[in-house]
Amino acid sequence: MKSSAARGVIVEDLEHSYGDEPVLHGVSLDVSPGESIALLGPSGCGKTTLLRLIAGLERPSSGSITIGEDLVAGETWVPPDRRRVGMVFQDWALFPHLSVAKNVAYGISKSTSKDTEVSAALEMMNLAGLEDRMPATLSGGQQQRVALARALAPRPGVLLLDEPFSNLDTSLRIEVRTEVRELLADLGITSIFVTHDQDEAFIVGDRVAVMREGHIVQTATPYDLYHNPVDRWTAEFVGTVSSLSATAQSGTAQSPIGSLAVSPKLQGPVDLILRPEQLALEAGGDAEVLLVEYYGHDTLVFVESGDDQLRVRCGPTTNYSRGDRVTVRFVDTVALAFAKE
Amino acid sequence: MRKHNANRGLRVFGLVTAIAFAFPGLYLVWRNFTSGADPLGLLFSNQTLQPLWRTIYLAGLVSVSAACLGTALAWLTARTDLPFRKLWSVLLPVPLVFPTFIGAAAFIRALSPGGLASEWLTAFGVHHTPQLRGLFGAWLVLTFFCYPYVYLPVNARLKQLPGSYEQTALLLGDTQPQVFLRVVLRQIGSSITAGTLLVFLYTISDFGAVQLMRFDTLTRAIEMNYLARPPISFAMSLILLALAAVVVVSERAASRHLPDIRTHRPQHALKYELGSWKVPSLLLVIATFAISIVAPVAAMADWALGGTLRSDGRPLTVSVSKIVEATINTLTSSIATGVVALLLITPIAFLANRHKDRIGRFTHSVVISTFAIPGILIALSLRFWTIRSGFIGSFFYDSMALLIFAYVVRFAALAMGAASVAVNAVPTALHDAAATLGADRRRRFRTVDVPVMKPGLLAATGLVVLSTMKELPISLLLAPIGFPTLTTRIFSSFEEAFVAEAGIMALVLVTASAFLSWSLVLRRSDAL
Repeated sequence: MKSSAARGVIVEDLEHSYGDEPVLHGVSLDVSPGESIALLGPSGCGKTTLLRLIAGLERPSSGSITIGEDLVAGETWVPPDRRRVGMVFQDWALFPHLSVAKNVAYGISKSTSKDTEVSAALEMMNLAGLEDRMPATLSGGQQQRVALARALAPRPGVLLLDEPFSNLDTSLRIEVRTEVRELLADLGITSIFVTHDQDEAFIVGDRVAVMREGHIVQTATPYDLYHNPVDRWTAEFVGTVSSLSATAQSGTAQSPIGSLAVSPKLQGPVDLILRPEQLALEAGGDAEVLLVEYYGHDTLVFVESGDDQLRVRCGPTTNYSRGDRVTVRFVDTVALAFAKE
Repeated sequence: MRKHNANRGLRVFGLVTAIAFAFPGLYLVWRNFTSGADPLGLLFSNQTLQPLWRTIYLAGLVSVSAACLGTALAWLTARTDLPFRKLWSVLLPVPLVFPTFIGAAAFIRALSPGGLASEWLTAFGVHHTPQLRGLFGAWLVLTFFCYPYVYLPVNARLKQLPGSYEQTALLLGDTQPQVFLRVVLRQIGSSITAGTLLVFLYTISDFGAVQLMRFDTLTRAIEMNYLARPPISFAMSLILLALAAVVVVSERAASRHLPDIRTHRPQHALKYELGSWKVPSLLLVIATFAISIVAPVAAMADWALGGTLRSDGRPLTVSVSKIVEATINTLTSSIATGVVALLLITPIAFLANRHKDRIGRFTHSVVISTFAIPGILIALSLRFWTIRSGFIGSFFYDSMALLIFAYVVRFAALAMGAASVAVNAVPTALHDAAATLGADRRRRFRTVDVPVMKPGLLAATGLVVLSTMKELPISLLLAPIGFPTLTTRIFSSFEEAFVAEAGIMALVLVTASAFLSWSLVLRRSDAL
């Protein structure tokens, strides 16, 4: 099955509120054709609202949205049924009174090739044989695939996914998100999806837009986001960190675990933001092991050093136990730091 | 989350509907204070206070006995090892299909001295059966035909109630009676209250049973006086209206306090072993079954057979064409009422639930509150309006339109609940999904709303048709001349003792209403 030409999405200065309650402030986002973007943020940050605005299910208070060449919100208004945008809903929203085949056929315009298009969409999602089943008789994973097949069948230029994996149990979720990633890459379709799960955002998104309280705080590749977060909140939201108070001067910070290289722009009191894998342990010393979380492929050790608590990632063969005396070392080149507020 | 603005036409429609539904009640109040008589003097005269007292006394007695009987039966069928529980739980709601005046006539035939039971008992040498008239007769009939109003909600509640509550109480050291009092009764208490208030409301508005039992409650007194002494009738109507309003307001308050039971899905409710109570419990259930189902059916069959098979040379008193005519009239008028109610109610349900429109909500509550107005008051109000209001009135006087309108006002509230559930059963996500798949508003309505709402709306219509078929006072007062329905024919046959026809027509009515209850209400109860 071919997809139609992928279209880009440009969101400019979007504002939106529900009644008196503002939910989006000056949001801008530029999605290239064929790109996959994850909207990542805690619940209530406005990420689902942004998705619904792009779909046309809500009308923005101000700002504009362009899909491909067409302005769809701003000076003009294009209703959702004429935007040619596919959407997969959080609870999948399958029509309970229609069979699998009829659900998938719903968005395809009447034509001689309608039946072949439906079969192609079902084939692509491994749903062949389930044509006549009703949605209520399907498993969660199958319903999810029907929802995807239905959204993709009319060959939209953009696919929107609202927490598409959150209704699946853990093991299925890990399997399905990899499948979806492959499928989106194969189809070359532009996709925007909402998630509150960092792993999911990093795996499925080419780029990740982090949202907080109605703003987009940072849009970057997963690599950049992890290594160069724009502020302390983003650093803590994306991955695990420990923080230490320190004093910076000319590219060096004096901290309880020694002097570390930091950005030369910083002067005075700072918060060091340390990832667990930037730290290592040595036996003997002033720090004490509080807790050991053993994951098999690695180990996370919680250490108390003076008044600070640090999390240290160790290898699978590490064998510390509670109460052991250790020393914490910084083993990376430059540490992340933000001036104290 | 989203609020579509409703279009103006729909809102005007809502307002007009609200006015139409409020009209009969308001006209009654207005008439009271413009009829020239001294309304306050009449309100507190002995003539009106006596029937009021009898009404409250009867409704109180019936409520207490129906609450006890309904709760006991619900407990036995839902939570114990009573033999044939499944069968009983299907049979016990059945008395709702009998109009109470048929029940009353059947009781008189079956249980009075010289009736069926005494004929049978005489064969065993027993000669005493109680006199079935007045307060005792009315109480007995209403109790045994109204207990399902308590039985149904309490039974449903008991089945929902997770066993873990009771198990927790047992583990914390309560004995089984303590568990019942401290845990179970607390959880089903509001269902019992709500059901009992429905029984109370039904009893104060009942006309057929008290009429046949010759017990002068407000409804009977209103009917007796409305031609000869209208001001007295109107004063009593006002009292009855106020009483009904109080009951309905309390019912709302009781159901609002229904505690939320959070269960993932219906669990295995805890079952109690009856032990030595098994035989008495079974006897109670069998007695209820015999009195409220076997007795009326036996009486109806006896009348019907008496007129057809046992004609012993006398000319047959049964006129088949009369029966067919009444059946057709009942079917056409009740189906017309169902359809009209559906057409009026669905837009209101949309306006109130989908659009969250203020006018929609207002109309919704007006329609719901008309449920409190006893049928006889609606009939009385409209009857007087057509007599008194000149040209427009004479246009509607003695017309089918007026009859259907009265039925709709009386029963549309029943459809309102089911229609609201149906409208709310369409998740907004389905609309959103259809929109992103390219469906415009009209196609969304046709392909999403209509099919998803269909079972609920059918059930709503069925409830209205069912209730209209059994309606008596409105049919008596407002059916056009030459338009006899099953209920009016049966009722006048009882009064004139043409019982063979009445028996056959009662069987037709009960069969039709049982079939309709089963197919539209009980079978689809998940859609309600």
